[in-house]
Amino acid sequence: MLKKYIISFLFVFLQYLVASQNAAAIDYKAYGFIQPEITTFFNGDGRHDQSNSNQSIFVKGTFITYLNNGDQKITINTTGRIDEKDSERSYIDFQKFKYEQYFDDITLKIGNELIFWGVNESFNIVDIINQSNLAEDISGTKKFGQPMISLNYNHSYGNFDLFIMPFFKERIFPGRNGRPRLALEVDKSTVAYESSSKKNKIDAAVRYSTVYDDYDIGIAHFYGNNRSPELNVNPLSQKLDAYYPILSQTSLDIQSTKGAWLYKLETLTAKNGEERHFGIAGGTEYTIYGLRETTSDLGIIVEYTFDDRNDFAFNNEGVLALRWTKNDIKSTSLLAGLVADMSGSSNRFFAEFEQRIRDDLKVFIDMSINGEIDADDFTYAFEEDSQLTLKIAKYF
Amino acid sequence: MKFAKIIFIIFALFPFYLSAETAEEQGLRIAKASYENGRGFTDMVSDQLMILIDPKGNEVTREVSGKTLENLDPNDGDKSLTYFKTPKDVEGTVMLSHTHISDDDDQWLYLPALGRVKRISSSNKSGAFMGSEVAFEDFSGTDYRKYEWKFLGEEMENNETFYKLESYPNYENSGYSKRISLIDNLNRTYKVDFYDRKGELLKTLYLEDYVLYKDKIWMANTMKVENIQNKNITIFKWLNRELDVGINKKDFEKSSILRLAD
Repeated sequence: MLKKYIISFLFVFLQYLVASQNAAAIDYKAYGFIQPEITTFFNGDGRHDQSNSNQSIFVKGTFITYLNNGDQKITINTTGRIDEKDSERSYIDFQKFKYEQYFDDITLKIGNELIFWGVNESFNIVDIINQSNLAEDISGTKKFGQPMISLNYNHSYGNFDLFIMPFFKERIFPGRNGRPRLALEVDKSTVAYESSSKKNKIDAAVRYSTVYDDYDIGIAHFYGNNRSPELNVNPLSQKLDAYYPILSQTSLDIQSTKGAWLYKLETLTAKNGEERHFGIAGGTEYTIYGLRETTSDLGIIVEYTFDDRNDFAFNNEGVLALRWTKNDIKSTSLLAGLVADMSGSSNRFFAEFEQRIRDDLKVFIDMSINGEIDADDFTYAFEEDSQLTLKIAKYF
Repeated sequence: MKFAKIIFIIFALFPFYLSAETAEEQGLRIAKASYENGRGFTDMVSDQLMILIDPKGNEVTREVSGKTLENLDPNDGDKSLTYFKTPKDVEGTVMLSHTHISDDDDQWLYLPALGRVKRISSSNKSGAFMGSEVAFEDFSGTDYRKYEWKFLGEEMENNETFYKLESYPNYENSGYSKRISLIDNLNRTYKVDFYDRKGELLKTLYLEDYVLYKDKIWMANTMKVENIQNKNITIFKWLNRELDVGINKKDFEKSSILRLAD
């Protein structure tokens, strides 16, 4: 309820800011896209007896304006989806709805924001600020905006960031009709927290980042509700009960850029509830430019992630991927690869193709094929969810 | 007798060679003067239009806007910030480059679809900029110290006399074996022929619409590239170019990319 008041207040404040400017002088950018999607599943109705097809519409809209000679900025970035089958996948989110004030070396930011930490292509284990929307994408890379007040201090030694984050948002999981989905439904009525303030706990984070020669370095600490809940089977309801422990995580991310070679590393140590864990993920990306005397580039990505928790979903996985960019007028590109569980035999093949077909139209084809998946692997629930998705984005 | 004649000729020529520049020295001198023609701008803002034309005459236009900060250290390169406006699917993309004379450039890219700032490799010298006939090295390789030079003589074209210079890139991964430039008597580059790694003529660049800024700086506001091999044409136009506007040098730091980002 409080959140609604604050958002309304922010909205009125932003309107006041815009209205107080000389109307003719307001310079803004507004753009976005609407993207219908069709998915077909290869294994019929699959493990959970679901539909073998789905249709969905995704939209994104962006509005930016600078006020007072660029000293202030307002950003609104909204995403939303209407999904045919899964009501959990139908949503609207203000990923960014923020006001920024720029002082000489300090930036003050208030509102919803997306903060990305990390360097890897596949396993961004240090990225912790925003909550994932697993209904939108089961891999967890699609995030919700996080309300915050943040301060950035830009010093010659690097950047210092402070984040104060009220209003925790619970993780969204696919619903009963969502495909892929977990074997059991996550019960929304039994969510529990370690913190006595529950979702009203105010989370905090600090980060120092700098560029030194070929190295981009970030060191961060986060203290707050873990974005990733523990899920336990409730024998009575036969649903999953979510429990959010308090996470205290210290992380480091480094990228070294040496010519056509990129070397990437993300590592963390964290206390999650009562238990401490350690994680490390990294790899290399090498690009061959001008493949066989053409304008095409071929990137080879090898990444690995390790986590010392045995029950953690991604505790020993590797990725091998190829990224082909044609560098043509249509921006044609293809990313294809294999994700494999190094301690079992589970694996998944994926391919993502994209091409601009008109100045304001772009086509995307995503494919995901699950190989053999071990019954004790958490992705076992998705084994029969191999799919092909066609998306066409119309830009405005 | 014959031997004596040769000796005589050699000795006769010797003083001349001592006093005059070699072709390499002369080439370097002209190239340096031409490069310095465009220096002293401090900083610069502009909108740029890129028109891509295929052999059938189909045209598409790309729009970017950019800021450049001149590096007052003569041994290091300039910094530039580019904001992409069209095609619409890349709107909001921001690229920051810190160029260097002998090392690879430092480059960061913000992609709206990913919502993250990525450090990218800049060893892609010969790659095409946004599907055009302009290679990354054509933007970053404007410093005369990135090439070995040789003066080839003077050449007439369109009733005008030009210095003809040959240059060879001395950085790695160039897509060119050599370039042949025509430079006018005001030290402005008029035309450059680019030869591919096999030594075949690849493309010709024409620099047009020269404007004199601050009474001393010549900048071409149109660049036309004709690819001889695939017959594509790229036209690059600078609009609303302003020099010495007083840009904060902190705008060219990695952390400032997010001030422009969506």
